[in-house]
Order: sequence, then structure tokens, then C-alpha cells
Amino acid sequence: MITIFKASLRFSSLALMVMMFTSQINAQDKKTKEEKELELVDFKQIKKVLQEDGLSQQAKSKARQVEAIKKEQAIIEKDRFLVPTEDEWWGIMSEYWLVKNAPTLAWDFEKPDYGLEDSFKAVLQNVGLFQKKFRILLLNTPALVRAAIPGPDGETIFLISVPFIRTLDLSKLEISLMMLEDYLKAEEGYFKKAVRPKGLDAYVGSNFYGKKLDLSPMSEALKNYDQFLLQKGFTFQQQFAVTKKMDSFLKSNIEWWNTYFRLLGKIDRLIKTNNQYKTYNQLYPSPEMQLKWLSPDDKVL
Amino acid sequence: MKKLILALLILNTFSAFAETVAEDEKTVGVFYFKPILGHVHQSPKELSSSLTTIQCGHPIKVIESSKVKVGEEWAYVQVADFKGFILKSFLAPARPECFQAKYPKFFDGLNLDLSELYYWGRLYDNYLQGQSKVQ
Repeated sequence: MITIFKASLRFSSLALMVMMFTSQINAQDKKTKEEKELELVDFKQIKKVLQEDGLSQQAKSKARQVEAIKKEQAIIEKDRFLVPTEDEWWGIMSEYWLVKNAPTLAWDFEKPDYGLEDSFKAVLQNVGLFQKKFRILLLNTPALVRAAIPGPDGETIFLISVPFIRTLDLSKLEISLMMLEDYLKAEEGYFKKAVRPKGLDAYVGSNFYGKKLDLSPMSEALKNYDQFLLQKGFTFQQQFAVTKKMDSFLKSNIEWWNTYFRLLGKIDRLIKTNNQYKTYNQLYPSPEMQLKWLSPDDKVL
Repeated sequence: MKKLILALLILNTFSAFAETVAEDEKTVGVFYFKPILGHVHQSPKELSSSLTTIQCGHPIKVIESSKVKVGEEWAYVQVADFKGFILKSFLAPARPECFQAKYPKFFDGLNLDLSELYYWGRLYDNYLQGQSKVQ
């Protein structure tokens, strides 16, 4: 009996030892991989080795790199809030105005092919205006007869009324000469000066990061475009200067000079008889005066 | 039974036709849209209806099909599920520098509504463009 008891006691103590050993192993297993690594590596001891290997230096340069990337990212993010430069702003502004006024200007319509691109190109080249890019937008309304406004990439956008062309039965040369006159006005900067909103210098190229975009220069320019193109127009002085310029440009080509002179006569007669174009004189003063400015001085014999 | 056979025959004919169409189309390449906004047209005409509006930089798959004949100025294209036409002069072989990519927050700030986006796209279809030569 005693022998049995001793044997069972030996067995239980052995079992207890095995259990304790197993629990110790389990406790070791619960440690994370990192904790185990930390136990294995004594950083204080290997610090010197790392320094000798240049790893510490590499870590510093990596940190500098990360900082530089972060700075660059911040600059890129800030650049997303830039307002266009002045040249880009005028192009986008004109198209914005054309889009906003699409229903009233009626430019989205099936238009006749006058061959104006080639004709106007020939006129520009003939008067020595080379490498000039242009866009022509025909309007199906008599409300706006003609204009040249700044376009994208330094181009000029020409607006021409098809009802006006039809009423006067204008040839493509006549239309092109009319466009040349508008081009010279645009080159003189009359339009830009008249519609330029206040504070544009500070606005263009600025950055509105962290602020709300100020649309007031755009709204002001929209109003100014309307006012200038539909109500105010050019002054007598501006018309005189441009007519004289046309005179000197066309003098070398007498056929074109005569065509231009006849065109002004046609417009003068139309605006005096057709009520639809009564505002023309106010906007482009005035065909009658232009004819006088172009006519040779009366000579008293 | 006859009706069933007939229906199967018709179905078979249609599926064969669909396969012919798919096989007939060939991808010419992927190009990118140049203007600020524009349209994929239903037919190769500037003022034909718009299937969808696209923005500058949008990748466009130019395709060829013996069943679709287009003039020299136009490209037959696929944009998402739409197959239509775009003027070749509006396509660039590499991603162009787009206004809305250069000034994204300014362009967003204009708050263009749907009709304005539509008209802005139509604007480029309506322009007649030219340039005087170098002396």
C-alpha cells in the first residue's frame, strides 16, 4: 500500500514539474516577435557597430529626404490654389463671358462657310502681320455686330454677326477688312483697358490657399464686357486713330483700300436706314466720320 | 417546336453579327483630349448631338472599323461605353498641359453648371481657327 502511495506521489510530482515547464514555454510563446527581438538585441552594445557601418548617418539622410518630400508636397498642394497669370486670365475670361452669354449671342448654330479663315489669313499676311493666331466665332444675332476680344494663348477671338453680313451682302474680303480694323483696335489695347476690373494686377498670379476664391474680378469683368460691347463702345479718338492706321496699311493695295472705303459707305447707309442697327454709331463712331477721315482733303482751286 | 427553332436561328444570326462587329473594330491607339472641354459627337459633324462631355486630358481610344467611314478631319473614338466622333485636331498623342490641371482650384471655383460645361465644350466646335504664316 505504502509502495503504491510512494509511486503515485513520485508520479504527481513529475507531472507537476512537466506542467510548470510547459507553462514557462507557453509564457515565452506569448511574447511578440518584436519583444523577442528586443531581448536578443542589446542596442547599447550594437550602437557603436551601427555608427561604424554608417547606418546612423543613413537614417539621418533618410529623415532629411522625407522632410524635403513633405515640403515639396506642400508646395504642390499650395500651387493648386493659384490664380492664372494675366495672359491666361484674359483668355479664360473671354471664354467664360462667351459661355455665360451663349443663348443671347447665339453662336451655337449651323453656319455658312464663308472661307473666312483663309481670307483673313491672306489679309494679315498682305499687310505684314505674320504668325498671328486667331479664332472666329460667327453669331446668329444682330445684337452684337462685330468685336475682337482677347483669346487663349495670346490669340484674338473675332465675333461677327451673320445677320449683319447677310443684310449687307458682304464679301469675304469686306468681312476680313472689317476684322483687320477690329484687330488693330485690339492691338491698341482699347478693349482690355476699358473692361479691366479693379485690382487685377494683384489678383492674377496670386494664391488663395487657405482662403475662398475671390470671384469679384470675374463678375466685374463680365459686367464690363457687356457694357463695352453692347452699350459703350469706342471713342471718336480711338476710331480716328484706327481709321488712319487702316488707311496707311491699305494704301499699298489700292483695290483693298477702295473695298474698305466702299464697305464704310455700305455700313453708313445701313445704320441710317435700318433700326436694328441703330446702336452701331454709338459703339463704333462713326462710319460717316471715317469716310471723311479717309477722303482726300478738298482742294480749293 | 418550329417557333423555338426559328427563335434560336434568329438569336444565332444576331450573335454572329455582334461577333463580326466586335472583330471588325481595331484600336488605333490611345490619345488625349486637348481643349478645356468638349464633346463626343454622334456623327462626324461639329454641330451633331453630344453623346458625352469630356475634359482636357481625358484618354480617348481611337478605333477603326470597316463599317464606319469618317473624313480626314475626324476620328472614330470610344470613350467609356460611348462610340462617337471627335475632331482629330482636338487629340494629342501625349497628355497635354491642361488649364484645369494647372489651376484646378480656380477652375472648380468658377462653379460652372451643367449647361455652362456643355456650352464651353461646344465653343471649340464652333470656332473657326487660323494663323498667318511666318514671313
